[in-house]
Amino acid sequence: MKKELLIQNSRQLGTFVGLIVVTAVFWILSPYFLTISNLMNIAEQASINAVIAVGMTFVIIAAGIDLSVGSIVALSGVVLAGALQASLPVPVAILLGLGVGALCGLSNGLLISFGRLPPFIATLGMMSVARGIALFYTDGRPVSGFSAEFRSLATGEIARIPSPVIIMIVLYILAHCILHWTKLGRYTYAIGGNEEAANLSGINTRMIKTTIYALCGMLSGLAAVLLTARLNSAQPIAGLMYELDAIAAVVIGGTSLLGGEGTISGTLIGVLIMGILRNGLNLVGVSSFTQQVVIGSVIILAVLIDMAVRKDRTILLAKGIIK
Amino acid sequence: MRHIRKVFPGVVALDDVSFDLKAGEVHVLLGENGAGKSTLVKILSGAIQKTDGEIVLFDNPVEIDSPKQAQKLGIGIIYQELNLVPSLTAAENIFLGRERTNSVGLIEKHTLLSSAQHILSSIGLQIDCDQPVRSFGIAQRQMIEVAKALSLDARILIMDEPTSALSETEIKQLFGVIRKLREKGVAIIYISHRLQEIFEIGDRVTVLRDGKLVGTRMVYETSQAELVKMMVNRELKEQYPRHRTDRGEEILRVEKLNRKGALRDISFSLHRGEILGISGLLGSGRTELARALFGADRIDSGEIVIKGKCRKINSPRTAVKLGLGFLTEDRKSQGLVLSLSVKDNITLSSLDLFSRLGVISNKREEREAKSFIEQLRIKTPSNHQKVLNLSGGNQQKVVLAKWLSRKADIFIFDEPTRGIDVGSKVEIYQLMNQLTAEGVAIIMISSELPEVLGMSDRILIMYQHTIVCELKSEEATQERVMRYALGAA
Amino acid sequence: MKTRVFVVVFAALLGLQQCGRSDRADKPIIALVLKTLNNPFFMDMQEGAQAAAARLGVDLIVQAPEREVDVEKQMQIIENLIQRKVSAICVAPSGSKEIVPAILKANQARIPVIVIDTRVDRKAQTESGAVVLSFIGSDNKDGGRIAGEFVSEKLGGTGEVAILEGIPGHETGDARLLGFHEALAEQKGITIVASQTANWERDQGFNVFRNILQAHPHVKAIFACNDMMALGAVEAIAAVDKKGDIIVVGFDAIKDSRAAIVNGDMQASIAQHPEEMGRLAVETALKALHGENVPSDIPVKIELVTKTKLDKLTSH
Repeated sequence: MKKELLIQNSRQLGTFVGLIVVTAVFWILSPYFLTISNLMNIAEQASINAVIAVGMTFVIIAAGIDLSVGSIVALSGVVLAGALQASLPVPVAILLGLGVGALCGLSNGLLISFGRLPPFIATLGMMSVARGIALFYTDGRPVSGFSAEFRSLATGEIARIPSPVIIMIVLYILAHCILHWTKLGRYTYAIGGNEEAANLSGINTRMIKTTIYALCGMLSGLAAVLLTARLNSAQPIAGLMYELDAIAAVVIGGTSLLGGEGTISGTLIGVLIMGILRNGLNLVGVSSFTQQVVIGSVIILAVLIDMAVRKDRTILLAKGIIK
Repeated sequence: MRHIRKVFPGVVALDDVSFDLKAGEVHVLLGENGAGKSTLVKILSGAIQKTDGEIVLFDNPVEIDSPKQAQKLGIGIIYQELNLVPSLTAAENIFLGRERTNSVGLIEKHTLLSSAQHILSSIGLQIDCDQPVRSFGIAQRQMIEVAKALSLDARILIMDEPTSALSETEIKQLFGVIRKLREKGVAIIYISHRLQEIFEIGDRVTVLRDGKLVGTRMVYETSQAELVKMMVNRELKEQYPRHRTDRGEEILRVEKLNRKGALRDISFSLHRGEILGISGLLGSGRTELARALFGADRIDSGEIVIKGKCRKINSPRTAVKLGLGFLTEDRKSQGLVLSLSVKDNITLSSLDLFSRLGVISNKREEREAKSFIEQLRIKTPSNHQKVLNLSGGNQQKVVLAKWLSRKADIFIFDEPTRGIDVGSKVEIYQLMNQLTAEGVAIIMISSELPEVLGMSDRILIMYQHTIVCELKSEEATQERVMRYALGAA
Repeated sequence: MKTRVFVVVFAALLGLQQCGRSDRADKPIIALVLKTLNNPFFMDMQEGAQAAAARLGVDLIVQAPEREVDVEKQMQIIENLIQRKVSAICVAPSGSKEIVPAILKANQARIPVIVIDTRVDRKAQTESGAVVLSFIGSDNKDGGRIAGEFVSEKLGGTGEVAILEGIPGHETGDARLLGFHEALAEQKGITIVASQTANWERDQGFNVFRNILQAHPHVKAIFACNDMMALGAVEAIAAVDKKGDIIVVGFDAIKDSRAAIVNGDMQASIAQHPEEMGRLAVETALKALHGENVPSDIPVKIELVTKTKLDKLTSH
């Protein structure tokens, strides 16, 4: 029993240790790193990826993938911006943005569940389509300049904590509850663990999968809201490569790309590690190009470790990859 | 092969089996599912290693460590699922891995083609070797496999159920080829269920049962009846504690179920409190029937009546709602989510009963899981243990618990005790008794004849996708059931 | 249990870190945030700034996103620089409106901000109350005008013209376009048949102009709002074998474009003197830090560069 718990938790522990290590490294390298103000800064910068990563966590636990999140951010952002500029009330504009995101996600879900398209292909297509629609809608130009009321989503503070961080925390608590305490969460794990068995147990796998992708799309829409408020501008070219950051955070956080396993808290740690890396390397003065190399290497390392730990065969056996 | 013994974890697959092969003979291997035929030939072809015993080839003892080595020794095998690459041509497949290259390293296409054609004509065949394999039908693909083996200078050719997918004319063609090979001095090990064929093409036949050698006969010296008796005659060592209960009302009726290529005119009825056994050999359509009933596969035509109402079952979800439960043949890949815990698997189908507004009540869930663990005596350190780590018998109990939690009243068991130790087997039979006593109806698909005879109230025998016979348990004997299953009368 | 460990460790680290915290450095640290380091224009700017910094004895940090479009990255860089407690920030904004939130944050942290090369959008600035100490840059509108006059002269008043624009919304690009259009407004015989963005990038310039040539095979001249795009267009012209048939005018006069002008692939470019901008940025920042008054607008000269001019230079 103890050994079981140890193996189950070793992944979590490993990620947590990674967080400590990365924090320590930058604490040593820069005196400006470990200040409350910088930590808030990191949280704020990471909040956008954090929101997307929640949706991605659900998708990956269900043994899927979503490459279109970045493009959905762009599309949701420009629709939201258009609505704001058309003087629609802020809550309505936000709902519109979320709605667009959910719609894109729904489309992904339907193609994957009912159209039987592999998630990689379906979301790759959406990645292109959403981006194209965004560019078309705005004629390639950014839409900028919004009311202070709207911008307060990014610039506001509650108890000295930036609003995006608050939103992030609330979202994570919510997501944790859903994943661990509701039917939707349980079915997500079941589908990711063994879709055939889940189906034969009477679970409506197609509906659940569609819901998960729609959720991921909607969360990308939420990220777009935060991003647009933060930059006071919505660009059709926004969100480039966001899917990579989101997937990286999820994987670093201990969720297996094979599905069936993972936690929200793990993703949070993954998001923080990514945020610390970007911020820390910046503070230390490492050039943008080197930053890319470092971050890419960390992702590869995280996946290698993931595979090595899986050598204890649990997931591989469970998936029937080995007998 | 002398005194071959093969042990898998928990199971003795082959126990002191000795078998000899003469050049230029067609030697048939006969036996039930799981008798050990595949294991024996896999050892010979190098796919698995024997635990004990020796293999002597042309008077030389050999160790066959790998398929490549078997090839080198002149042993070729043609599996039921053919090993060809559909997009490559016949010639390329025949010489896959051994292509002759010219000085620059490019494959010599001409020699490839002509060599391939040569081999095929040596066994009397004309196939355009330049066509991709996917353009050929099953029969021709088999020929290509034969040619492949011949190109390796096989002296021993193993054919596993070669005629299962062939038409009458194609079978005749195959037999022609086999005769030609025989003339050339190639020895053929022929695995098949089809008694008529055995008598048509075989020289000798060896019968295996439960991993043991029963006997070897010259084909002309034996009869169908004797062979069947050899296949199934066994002492019923295991106890089958079947307590008959009174048959209740009809709970399920199936009329003329049809699906092209899988089910033909299936009709039967099922009553509360009874165990309906379904027997038949591999490929007879039993699992297809179960899947069709459960909504996992569609049907072309036919009616399913459950509790008096005619129903359309399009998905497992519908089936579950109607009170069906399905314990699949392969519990690991279809019955359980191995990465989840015992508790999670038990409640997987019945979460509706433990949740309000989508939120699961952990307390009630745990209570339910613990109660089943106790009731069914599932051996696990805790209900949070990953199901992956349980033994086969306990895993099966978890699947059973899942359907019990759902309060299913029609259970379909597909090979309920496969891969389970004796002690757990008995427990499962007792549980089946309990269920029927409570009015549940059970359909039990099984390849273990003793189990079918011991536990069923009635037995349906399937052959080639249809039901050929229905027997009451009193009328059934192993031989009788096997005869019908083999297609004999 | 895990959370408790985390909190304890975190608090300890924070405590330790406070002990070793250094105050603002004795040497002022000036930060230069560019649009990208992938463009020789900005590399020249960096060199000018570095030379000035070395001469004046200040520390200079230069950072930039990989791509000029990456507004978010620029914002993150500035936020991190604020954490780094730099003395002053000089920024060439990737987005004239999008830079405003970042400037506001710098204002809040009491770090003076100098804007280079691309103006902040006037309206956005006044609405938000963002404070910019000074703007150092060329009159891009004027540059566009000069380019327009050159094209009109070379075409003799008639012909089809195509334009490659910069990133939409960049004040520099918009100003250059405006100037160019103004110069050609009088010329009735000249039609602008296509005007599309290639986002300041060379390979996009190639692709976009290639497509334009397909649609309008009789284009006689092209004005690209920066040299990178112009060079892409040059390659597109070579690919369809129309070298010498089309007049190419760029903007920035970077080294590669000068070479292209000398061997006739390009006809002209507008030189901006980015090193000047870099130098002035550092000098102005230092002046501000010493409490001196600085002008709110520091223009940097521009000039038309053609083959004749370059030949004259080399023959000296």
